Amino acid sequence: MTRAWGGVVLVAVTACLNAACGPQRPRTPQRSGQDLVVLLPNDDGTTGKVEVSNPSGRVTLDTARASTLIAVGQAPGEVTELTEAEIQRIFGPALAAQPPAPIQFTLYFQFDSEELTDDSRQMLSEVLQVVKKYPVPRVTVVGHTDTTGSAESNVELGLRRANAVRALLVDVGVEGAAIDSTSHGEAALLVPTADGVFEPKNRRVDVTVR
Amino acid sequence: MKARRLSLAAVAILALAAPAFAQQPSPAGRVKVVSGSAFIVRAGSTVPAKVGQELFESDSLRTGDDGRIGVTFEDDTRLSLGPASEVRLDTFRYAPAEGSLGMAMRFLRGVAVYVSGKIAKLAPDSIRLETPSAIVGVRGTTLAINVRE
Repeated sequence: MTRAWGGVVLVAVTACLNAACGPQRPRTPQRSGQDLVVLLPNDDGTTGKVEVSNPSGRVTLDTARASTLIAVGQAPGEVTELTEAEIQRIFGPALAAQPPAPIQFTLYFQFDSEELTDDSRQMLSEVLQVVKKYPVPRVTVVGHTDTTGSAESNVELGLRRANAVRALLVDVGVEGAAIDSTSHGEAALLVPTADGVFEPKNRRVDVTVR
Repeated sequence: MKARRLSLAAVAILALAAPAFAQQPSPAGRVKVVSGSAFIVRAGSTVPAKVGQELFESDSLRTGDDGRIGVTFEDDTRLSLGPASEVRLDTFRYAPAEGSLGMAMRFLRGVAVYVSGKIAKLAPDSIRLETPSAIVGVRGTTLAINVRE
């Protein structure tokens, strides 16, 4: 099959000899049959955590640009940090093809009502502005409840709220065919609580544009 | 009378249509970015990928030597592939109300960038990312994978 990446790894190593790689030991190049896993910073500047494991061993990546090389039958290799330039060289085309990050709006209802709060009502037109900017936009409207009432009735309640918001979005000009509405009931709480707890922050509708 | 007959016909049509509708799987995600040669492999046939196209469980994404593709999943997970790459979506379950959550992907070759979504927040242990030589467990993560054959 293809060996297209041989050239790319060579370029990365060559670049290290004359570019901003500094005095650090050059990373062992990725050989044929090896997998490279790199942890990248998230869009919000935080960095998550990755555990890379196989039957021979396990390593944890928890700092920006930490990487490991793995081959079948061998434990994941020592963790080394890649430079920004190496990441761009190896992953540039894939990074360039990343879709825009989904944007989420959280809408709240007035107490014991199907009416949105004033702040949330204003958000409807913000949603429309974002929809206009996205390629082939899809809008997902998800109703959520707090944990008072049964799980089943909360799925229904969440769906009623989602459908109410869907209708409002169509009113402000979002194309109905681009909107899916659904309910997560009490299964995805914003503020974790025990069952049977009144919590206004959990009674919400999440609108996501992606 | 005529109206009544019509509405009966409508009910009959709905009744016939309902099972087919129920069986239609919901899409796991949608293609957002395509450049060069990029394909979706579904049930053994390979079709050129188009922006806006739906992606389902068991589909693979594949790119040619000049191709790139980017997909956004229903739970906000994002996946993009560089040239000469292939990733298979083995499992995608995102129905929190039914307690059904999970995502399994196999990185078969080439380069990919994965940005985790809501499934990783709600049920991180239900995510399984596999390369030929390892399993990658994620905790709210952006990561890049290069599989060299």
